[in-house]
Amino acid sequence: MELINFIEINATTAIILILVGFVGGLVSGFIGSGGAFVLTPAMMALGAPGIVAVASNSCHKFPKAMVGVFKRHKYGQVDVKLGLVMAVFAEAGVLFGKHVMTGVRNSFGAVGTDLYVSAIFILTLAIVGGYVYKDYRKLKAMDDLADEKQQLTRLARWVQSVRIPGTMFYSRGAQAEISFLFTIPLGFGTGFLSSAIAVGGFVGVPGMIYVLGVPAIMASATEMVIATATGLGATILYGMEGAVDIRLAMLILLGSLFGIQLGAMGSTYVKDYEVKFTMAAIMLTVLFSRFFYIPGYLNKLGMMEPLQESTLHILKWIGDGVMFVALIVGAYTVISALLRGMKEHRERQSVSARESASD
Amino acid sequence: MTRSRAGLGKTLFWGGISALFYFGLFYYAEEFLHLAHTTQDACAVTEGMDTLYYNKTTPDLCVAKGGSFIKGTWWFVFAPIAVAFTLSFVHGVATGLFWDRLGMKAKK
Repeated sequence: MELINFIEINATTAIILILVGFVGGLVSGFIGSGGAFVLTPAMMALGAPGIVAVASNSCHKFPKAMVGVFKRHKYGQVDVKLGLVMAVFAEAGVLFGKHVMTGVRNSFGAVGTDLYVSAIFILTLAIVGGYVYKDYRKLKAMDDLADEKQQLTRLARWVQSVRIPGTMFYSRGAQAEISFLFTIPLGFGTGFLSSAIAVGGFVGVPGMIYVLGVPAIMASATEMVIATATGLGATILYGMEGAVDIRLAMLILLGSLFGIQLGAMGSTYVKDYEVKFTMAAIMLTVLFSRFFYIPGYLNKLGMMEPLQESTLHILKWIGDGVMFVALIVGAYTVISALLRGMKEHRERQSVSARESASD
Repeated sequence: MTRSRAGLGKTLFWGGISALFYFGLFYYAEEFLHLAHTTQDACAVTEGMDTLYYNKTTPDLCVAKGGSFIKGTWWFVFAPIAVAFTLSFVHGVATGLFWDRLGMKAKK
């Protein structure tokens, strides 16, 4: 017999979940990458097993992503066709990923899923976070004017030049006809990651930017179409395993729906490279935090020499602290971009109003 | 031309509806936990004030544990989905009105 523990929720836990949800939503609305890379680890830090954190986050992710799609579609940022095409392959990825997760749980229990989720986080955050940071540095070093027309990568230029009859469709985001075959690995990878760590955007958003040549702001908005589909798929699959804690999901939603709308508004005021900086900064901070939890999981699985309780306690405390820094970095970056952008916009509007009045 | 803000009455109305739904979710938290844990066969074991739900169980294993066996109902999986859809709509409207009321706008 197997017990999947749902954590006890008291006033403190509820407030933490709402605040964490707010920051997750802010980040998600801004960069389109689910925000779950702060939410999943935060729920695990509160004691939820990996599988429950991923399952409950998926249940929170899909309605939040739906709200994000409507908002950002109003700003003209969503490539619906591309999102739907990738969503189809993403669902296949979700099915496969859920199979792997339940395999891990059956062999190693809930603690096994903690280690599995953390390992995938570390791998993904290191690869994607590092690459996005490199790209941000390159863009920032260029003149601001150069950023107005996004530089396509060589790979994206090649992808947009390939013609495979019977597979082509026009992508509003890429502003080119592309073959859906290129979306298969991207979509499948997004879905797999979505069911492993509830963050598909780590593959989906950079994939759309660097492989398909979609501008970052449109990629992040289009990702929300995929997130809606994969979130719903993962919720159904994990729900059948009894792993969805609706209380966790809805407390996070309470905060994140405040945050995602602010984040979406902030995205209309910033340049492409600012979105990339936010992505990279938070990814690398969360990556750093995950290292401190690994010894604890290995210890519980009996995969390493037993550590002292006090050592495990200190490691977890440091990990939680670094996670907290990641949340603050995320919130600060998005809110300051929004407020600065609104202030500059208002000043520009009053200057042009004064100029037209004096004409 | 300045855009008008959302009415205070409308904002409070939707905020109130959202709060009501959240109250309902936590008032019936035990029932929702029951639905979550019984999408597959479960063994409910009472320990003090709490009920623990074990999965991957059989009636015999459950009796041995001193619990009551519950046959799984797969379509209970739609309960959290229905709650999520409802709350995302209601709370989405409420939060949108909230920010609009505070004058936060996207760049046109």
